Amino acid sequence: MILPQFKYHQPATLKDALAVAQSCDGDFDFIAGGTDVLPNYKNRLNNRNNVISLSGVHELQDVSADRIGGMATLVQLENSAVLKSALPVLPAAAHLVATPLLRESATVGGNILLDNRCWFFNQSPLWRESKGFCMKADGDVCLVVPQKEICYATYSGDLAPVFMVLDATLHLAGPESDRDLPVAGFFAHDGITRNVKLPEEILTHIAIPKSAQALRAAYRKLRIRDSMDYPVMGAAVALSFADNTIETLRIAITGMETTPLLYDEVMQPFVGEQVSMDLIETISGAVQEEVNAYRNVHFSPQYRKAMVGVYLKRILTELTTPKNSNN
Amino acid sequence: MKSSTKSSNVVGKRFPLVDALKKTTGEGVYTDDIKLPGMLVGKILRASMSHARVKKVDVSKALELPGVHAVITGDEPGAQNKFGVLPISKDEISLPKPGAPGRDGKVLYAGDCVAAIAADNEEIALQALQLIDVDYEPLEPILRVEKGIEPTDEPIQERTQDGTNIQKSVEQHHGDVDAALSSADHVATGDFEFVGVNHGFTEPIVAIAHYDADDRLTVWSAQQVPHYLHRALTEVMEMAMHRIRVIRPMVGGGFGGKSDPFPHEMIASLLSRKCRRPVKILFDREEVFLNNHGRHPTRTHLSVATDAHGKLTALDLDATIDGGAWGSFGVVTTYYNGVLSMGPYHIPNFRYAGRRVYTNKAPCGAMRGHGAVNTRYAFEVLMDQLAEEHKTNPCEFRLANLLPANTETVNGFRITSNGTKECIERARKRSDWDSKHGKLPFGEGIGIACGFYISGSAHRIHFNELPHSTVHLKIDMDGGITVHSMAAEIGQGSDTMLAQCVAEPLGIGLDRIRIFSGDSDTAPIDLGSYSSRVTFMAGNAAAEAARKIRQKLVDAAARKTGCPAQGFVLQEERVIYSPDPSVSLTFDEMLQEALAKNGALIAKGTYQSPPPIGKRDAFKGWRAGLSPTYSFQAYIAQVSVDPETFETRVKKVWAAHDCGRALNPLAVEGQIEGCVHMGLGQVLCEEMPYLKGALQGPNFLDYRTLTPMQMPEVDVIIVESHDPEGPYGAKEAGEGPLLPILPAVANAVYDAVGVRMTSLPITPDKLWKAAQRQGVAPGLGSPAEIHV
Repeated sequence: MILPQFKYHQPATLKDALAVAQSCDGDFDFIAGGTDVLPNYKNRLNNRNNVISLSGVHELQDVSADRIGGMATLVQLENSAVLKSALPVLPAAAHLVATPLLRESATVGGNILLDNRCWFFNQSPLWRESKGFCMKADGDVCLVVPQKEICYATYSGDLAPVFMVLDATLHLAGPESDRDLPVAGFFAHDGITRNVKLPEEILTHIAIPKSAQALRAAYRKLRIRDSMDYPVMGAAVALSFADNTIETLRIAITGMETTPLLYDEVMQPFVGEQVSMDLIETISGAVQEEVNAYRNVHFSPQYRKAMVGVYLKRILTELTTPKNSNN
Repeated sequence: MKSSTKSSNVVGKRFPLVDALKKTTGEGVYTDDIKLPGMLVGKILRASMSHARVKKVDVSKALELPGVHAVITGDEPGAQNKFGVLPISKDEISLPKPGAPGRDGKVLYAGDCVAAIAADNEEIALQALQLIDVDYEPLEPILRVEKGIEPTDEPIQERTQDGTNIQKSVEQHHGDVDAALSSADHVATGDFEFVGVNHGFTEPIVAIAHYDADDRLTVWSAQQVPHYLHRALTEVMEMAMHRIRVIRPMVGGGFGGKSDPFPHEMIASLLSRKCRRPVKILFDREEVFLNNHGRHPTRTHLSVATDAHGKLTALDLDATIDGGAWGSFGVVTTYYNGVLSMGPYHIPNFRYAGRRVYTNKAPCGAMRGHGAVNTRYAFEVLMDQLAEEHKTNPCEFRLANLLPANTETVNGFRITSNGTKECIERARKRSDWDSKHGKLPFGEGIGIACGFYISGSAHRIHFNELPHSTVHLKIDMDGGITVHSMAAEIGQGSDTMLAQCVAEPLGIGLDRIRIFSGDSDTAPIDLGSYSSRVTFMAGNAAAEAARKIRQKLVDAAARKTGCPAQGFVLQEERVIYSPDPSVSLTFDEMLQEALAKNGALIAKGTYQSPPPIGKRDAFKGWRAGLSPTYSFQAYIAQVSVDPETFETRVKKVWAAHDCGRALNPLAVEGQIEGCVHMGLGQVLCEEMPYLKGALQGPNFLDYRTLTPMQMPEVDVIIVESHDPEGPYGAKEAGEGPLLPILPAVANAVYDAVGVRMTSLPITPDKLWKAAQRQGVAPGLGSPAEIHV
């Protein structure tokens, strides 16, 4: 497989990157580590004629306890001493993404903005031609749930649910203005649209509130192999409790639907409750009840749904066991 | 058992493979490393339809594209000549002929070859492919074997049985199975389903063809069996065999997936002849999957009967095998699914009905453990069940049913060396089986399974009287020994094996040996690297040639020292007269004497399997599975199954394998560990599901081979039964060691959670579902609420 032809741009500043994008007349992709975009290009999935690399924009690479640059690599996150002590869930979650080699180039922003995945989409042109093209590339119908309204491709990023439960905020820089969005409000319900970022906007960094450092948090993912595989279900939990009473409780799930989802409303009744095995089972069951899955990645949807409950029960148990610290 | 009472020179010692440094440093030359002057890139246009008649192929626009040198279709002379690895079932063509009736004008699966292009570079070639217009007439695809066994007006291939898509049926019956079943104390019966798996070799399929100025054709190809490619090229290109040269550069893994002659090798040759330039065709991974030739999806139904004492009385076996679109090794596969279950147990009554069915999917072929793996799984799972029904320890149950050494099976296999008993006993002891089986907590389990495999096929697939292997040696005044052979080094260590077999009688180090095993112009014929034949056959040939050289050298030593030739021992680069060790020469002194007035020493060794073996002509298919000797295994696996997620972790494997004698224990360990890794893939996570005729994940992200993180510790137990006919006592170690790992894991899963899995792979979701059906899945929430 070889890449298609495109014009490659490598601006050195955020300002230049935004300007180059403006000059491309909508026919461009930003590229960070390239570990998601380039394989898709090789499969001729929605290629553009201009590729704007952000790898030269050094101002986006910094990592601190309250701010993570969009261009920070996953290996940076994994190895960050500051994060290991302040927010250990982030290095731990980054460690679960892909493989060591891929994490060297893959970035935090790239992982958040990962294109949705589906076995009718992530295929070669020959394969897609033989099955009929789907609405996410070259066709007009969804092959998972045959209809023309919604693309059911699955969101498969590992970090977004973690940022959700940490109540993080995304910072987007645009040619005209910048804006901040809570991660929970960033994703839009469709496998093609995916999120509310405008094409010409750049995800510059993620801001994490100081309060997140007081939470216990963990992320676990379901997959066949211990390495390489995308999550076919990923669960992130952050909580705090005092005197055995839940004060804060956030749960987010990835790898199941078209977006990662934060279950804040489902959590409402449990705040103020006493931690118990019964409560943990009730919480886990309540989320499992809410989650949907489709038959477009490996493992049956029924199994993945059931595992939401199992994984949450385990994470909640671990996080509410006093001797254990933040994962 | 210690390796040998006789002291050896290099045999039985641990050597890194002789090509290991070249491979690990990147110096090694694989086919894709070869760049010839003027070489073009060849690309194949592949069908998007599963079954269709090719009415018209318009290549005119592609030909007009600058940089395109040749475009061929089935109209190209030779492109329609039939070929196939088995001379009895040649059903492949290079390209379909537009408008032709029958098989010759059809594409047979999504991914089948339609046309091909040679261009200056890959970009141009890919662009040109898009400019080819194909007019298809879609035909109904046959995607499931159930459909394939029904009569049809449009069989996929020309030669099928009774108007169906059945390619080959086998029926064998030895003894009286019905009587044994009706008088049995216990009968275990099971229906098993196996999906296809792929070899997953590292180096993609690749070939270069150069039809040169002298009208000679040279083909470099990543091949396990250059000789069969040579034969196929002769027929397709309609050229005398001596006008074709086949070269096998370094090969990055084969596992059976590079042992057929393939269309791309023919297509590269046809393109090269058309444009008189070298043409390279390198597959991407999707094309490797589309070429497939991996393990056959199979439905296996079997009954195993025992008497009141727990002795096996009958095996009644039925297999329906999904062949995909071509024949490949399928006739052999069909036999092997039955007959390779004839060991290591004594089975007095045996019946087998098997059929291989053409379907409109990528062709299946030979893969490590060819034909034996799926049946072995089913058989060993039922053995476990029977042991339980007889309230017997599964190790004891197996020990009580073993074939002895030096016997014959009911279907005529001649069993010589047999180390199964020692395999079971040592694995049992090392694993502390007796304190674990049936005694571990829920979720923890241990299981055992045995294995049995050929060590080379005794009968040739081309009926002739040529030796199976021939090896040439040459030694001149430089003191190095040149070995010429066509035994294909594909990563399994065959070059190292040849070097050891040659060095052993000569008392020299491996540094003196140089192996030339990849060029049909210079090497004598060898049937190549398949059916686990190389060590036994080429090793014997090499050893025989070396012994001839040794005799010439010893004669020279006798001349020079005046001592009789019988008394000399060659070791550590010296020749010593053993009755009086003060009489000795260096190897080089002896060599120079041997060369004087004589010139270089040359010798030839050959191997033919000993005739006659088997029940000659006693029944149809009597040749199938006959081997000069057999390998035996017993593996124990310990697993941990998560009681909620039903994820299976293999914690440790005790792998006992009888390889006759370990010529190179390091290499044997590597083969066994590799087999465990590959077998664990099939039992835990590898699968080739099809979505309406298209392979679901033709890439290494979706086709999941085990990563090192899930690879358990393997305690390799080498059992040496000293085969009387093997080279220095050796027999195979490359395929048999794969067989027992699958059922050993399944039996351990049963011990852990009480679920017998009758379909592979044992993924957590399948095990969870099976456990729920059996009511053993606690999980979260009520199982009834989850709609499975």
